[in-house]
Amino acid sequence: MGDKNKADTSLNPKQRSRREFLESAGTTAALASAVPVLGISTAQAQSDIESTAAKTRIQLTVNGSRHSVDVEDRWTLVEVLRDQLDLTGTKIGCDRSECGACTVIMNGKPVYSCSQLAVWADGAQVTTVEGLASGGQLSPVQQAFVENNGPQCGFCTPGQLMTATALLSNNATPNADEVKQALVGNLCRCSNYNAIVEAVVMAGERSGSAV
Amino acid sequence: MSEAIHIGLDPLNTIGNATARVDAVERVTGEAKYSRDFKLPGMLYAQILRSPHPHARIRSIDTSAAEALPGVRAVITGDNASVVWGAGSVSGGRQYNDPTKDATLHRRYIFNNPVRFVGDSVAAVAAIDRHTAEEALALIKVDYEELPFVLEPEAALEPGAPQVWPDGNLCPDFRNNFEPMVSNLGDVEAGFAEADKIYEERYETSFIHNAQMEPRAALAHWEADKLTLYSPTQGISNCRHDTARDLGLQDHQVRIICNYMGGGFGNKNQNQDADLVAATLSKQAGAPVMLEFSRRDDWLGVHGRWPTVQYYKIGAKNDGTVTAIQMRGYSGMGPYRKNSGGISGMDVYACPNRLRSISPVYTNRTTSGNFRAPSEPHGFYGVESMMDEVAYKLGVDPVEFTLKNMRRPTDDQPFTNYSLDEVITTGAEQFDWASRRKTTPGSDEGPIKRGSGFSFMMFRAGVGTSSAIVRVDAQRQYTLFVGVTDIGPGAKTTMGMIAAEELGVPLDQVEVVAGDTDRCPYSVGESGSRTTIQTGYAVMQAAKDLNQQIADSGMPTGSDVLIASATPNPSTDGKTRQCFGAHFVEVEVDTRIGTTRIVKYTTVHESGRIINPTTARDQIRGATLQGIGQALHEDLLYDPASGQPLTTGYYRARHLTHLDIPEIDVTFIEVDDGYGPFGAKTAGEAGIILAPAAMANAISNAIGVRMTSLPISRDKILEAMA
Repeated sequence: MGDKNKADTSLNPKQRSRREFLESAGTTAALASAVPVLGISTAQAQSDIESTAAKTRIQLTVNGSRHSVDVEDRWTLVEVLRDQLDLTGTKIGCDRSECGACTVIMNGKPVYSCSQLAVWADGAQVTTVEGLASGGQLSPVQQAFVENNGPQCGFCTPGQLMTATALLSNNATPNADEVKQALVGNLCRCSNYNAIVEAVVMAGERSGSAV
Repeated sequence: MSEAIHIGLDPLNTIGNATARVDAVERVTGEAKYSRDFKLPGMLYAQILRSPHPHARIRSIDTSAAEALPGVRAVITGDNASVVWGAGSVSGGRQYNDPTKDATLHRRYIFNNPVRFVGDSVAAVAAIDRHTAEEALALIKVDYEELPFVLEPEAALEPGAPQVWPDGNLCPDFRNNFEPMVSNLGDVEAGFAEADKIYEERYETSFIHNAQMEPRAALAHWEADKLTLYSPTQGISNCRHDTARDLGLQDHQVRIICNYMGGGFGNKNQNQDADLVAATLSKQAGAPVMLEFSRRDDWLGVHGRWPTVQYYKIGAKNDGTVTAIQMRGYSGMGPYRKNSGGISGMDVYACPNRLRSISPVYTNRTTSGNFRAPSEPHGFYGVESMMDEVAYKLGVDPVEFTLKNMRRPTDDQPFTNYSLDEVITTGAEQFDWASRRKTTPGSDEGPIKRGSGFSFMMFRAGVGTSSAIVRVDAQRQYTLFVGVTDIGPGAKTTMGMIAAEELGVPLDQVEVVAGDTDRCPYSVGESGSRTTIQTGYAVMQAAKDLNQQIADSGMPTGSDVLIASATPNPSTDGKTRQCFGAHFVEVEVDTRIGTTRIVKYTTVHESGRIINPTTARDQIRGATLQGIGQALHEDLLYDPASGQPLTTGYYRARHLTHLDIPEIDVTFIEVDDGYGPFGAKTAGEAGIILAPAAMANAISNAIGVRMTSLPISRDKILEAMA
């Protein structure tokens, strides 16, 4: 299936493996449990307190807008996008680098945002599915998805679109085999694979030949 | 792009024309809101703690440390939240039947004790964010007494097997009788006596997780005594009714909202335990609660297609006439009989002597339930592999053998129409069956061998009741209210197209309101391939009524509107209504490494009139690919020593990816039989029924060895060739 985690891991010293990340989350749980606290009354349940876990301020640019976000170490990029920035177009299908539903473009490359810690995105340029259309115009690959039934249930669609967009920026007119190679990390359980590949090829033929 | 071939009917004004989905833009821009995308003020996040043991009694649960964690708002277990999940254990698969749910002997609760499979729910936590909820789960201490467990259905029926329920491991039927499901036609013993030859074989099929991309989620929100649930369901009306019943409410006290959902293929029918857990936590915490399943939660805590074992005995004459079909089957249901456990297929043969006995069996695996054509793909694989083998042993072409033995209309049982001959012969011609199949299976020289296989079917396309409301205002804008949810096939678009056709207006003049029980009338639910036929027919009738009102009183003026509603209950006048299909596939097997590559795949379906060629094409292609995944890869393996599931995810279950996908040629033979909306029939489940059988027959044709176990993975091919 190729390299499932498509992030460029060579340059960023802050990156850790998924396993290390999970282990550190477990450590946090152990420390928190060691502190004795009182039980919660139902009255307190109404208050909207936040977690007291330590936070780090990061700066990132998403779809052209700059954001400054205080993130917990254990938060992933997809959590920041969805929960903090309300960009819910990016989906969580597996949260463990299997399915590709959470794919976004980070610094020009498609990455699984479920497997990027938010702190790694400090200073990053991120594009999500909400950033593909501009000025009310769908991008060529979005338009092709509309016409050729790219989405069935639509849950994998944002991820397929992001990987396809990254592909088309490197290879303007990919053939079907090249599309399949590029999109191998984006699963579709409706198994609408044929329609997706046809749509990406069509988008390339239309816009690539016009360049 | 590759278009389907359409034979038989011309397009109407709207229907029959390739049409983009009415909500396609929302789906490609990220605007489409799925259940997990909603956020309410003060919303809490919830997670479920699951059993690590295949079978254990809970001696005690200590939640004090979890409750003491800052940010935790509610913790529930079986001790303080005893809620029956009515749809979780439905004897006999009578999922829409309240009396059966009430009478069920083996009742499933949202938290069960003993726990009966790895993944059975034990407790749930709501907290201010998901990580705090995760931390809290780790602080719950459960004292388990481990019990013996059993994983395989046949082993579960052996004397002395560990008992999943005290009454034994054979599932009771809906009357709580502990008997296999038996269907007996004619006299099989007489049929065997009449036969020149008798053939017997054992087949087995694996658990197939539905594995929809959207993991289960539920957002519950109470306002006084009214519950609003944002839930990914395949039927908002049924979900509302089930949720109300299980929580002791009236239907009108529950509102279900589901405009977009990320697939289900049968495992999001009705209400789910997630809905009940979220509602219970929300009530207790006094705040909206979003319950999120992880992928592993979903893989274990929801369900998949039941694994089966099938013993066939076939009697045939030397001229290729089948004289008797007998099948004894076992379906592994996990510890709760959520659905039927059916194994179908033999009824597509005309042979008058047929005996089928199926034992749905409790095991300590994860729960089995409906997956797209619940009883069919594994059953058709079994019986059509068996018949393919019989045909080759008798030296008969399997297509000729089928045309001789397949069920046809009779005076006693007429059909609304019958196109199986045309479907099969069209497919055989398009595929070039005569030259692609190996008359002698396995006859290719060398390690890379090609072969071709074929399968055929008929499948229910019956009519039934549902509702629709259509309204027109003075600006001539039409609004269609239908209680459908779009689970992927494009129901909103299909309903809009049917309305536009009947109203005689363009599709963009019809707004479709769906997915909200407070705004929409009853609909049958997105299961059983019924939405187009049943709700579509209601749409057609409501539109006819509105046209009549407009003819009688003119278009409304000012702020007035005209409204028509319909709840038709059509019949097929005693005739059986079926859709038809045939698949042909050529494969290339590399016997050195056990891989299977698809060279050509041809599908021909008669699903009545096709409403939207674009979405219908992809129903067939997508379902066929799911069936290919079932044939070649998918399984939920268990470690027999520990009872632990090993392949709980896409990677480990080896789901198809872009790189595995062949071209799938689609042909629709279109017929208007005078029933359903403009003659439309079943399409959504049709494609998956045929793929496992066609694939297995093709592989056997290539390598010359009958493959009797799904999935036909590389190791099984290597073993067969060793």
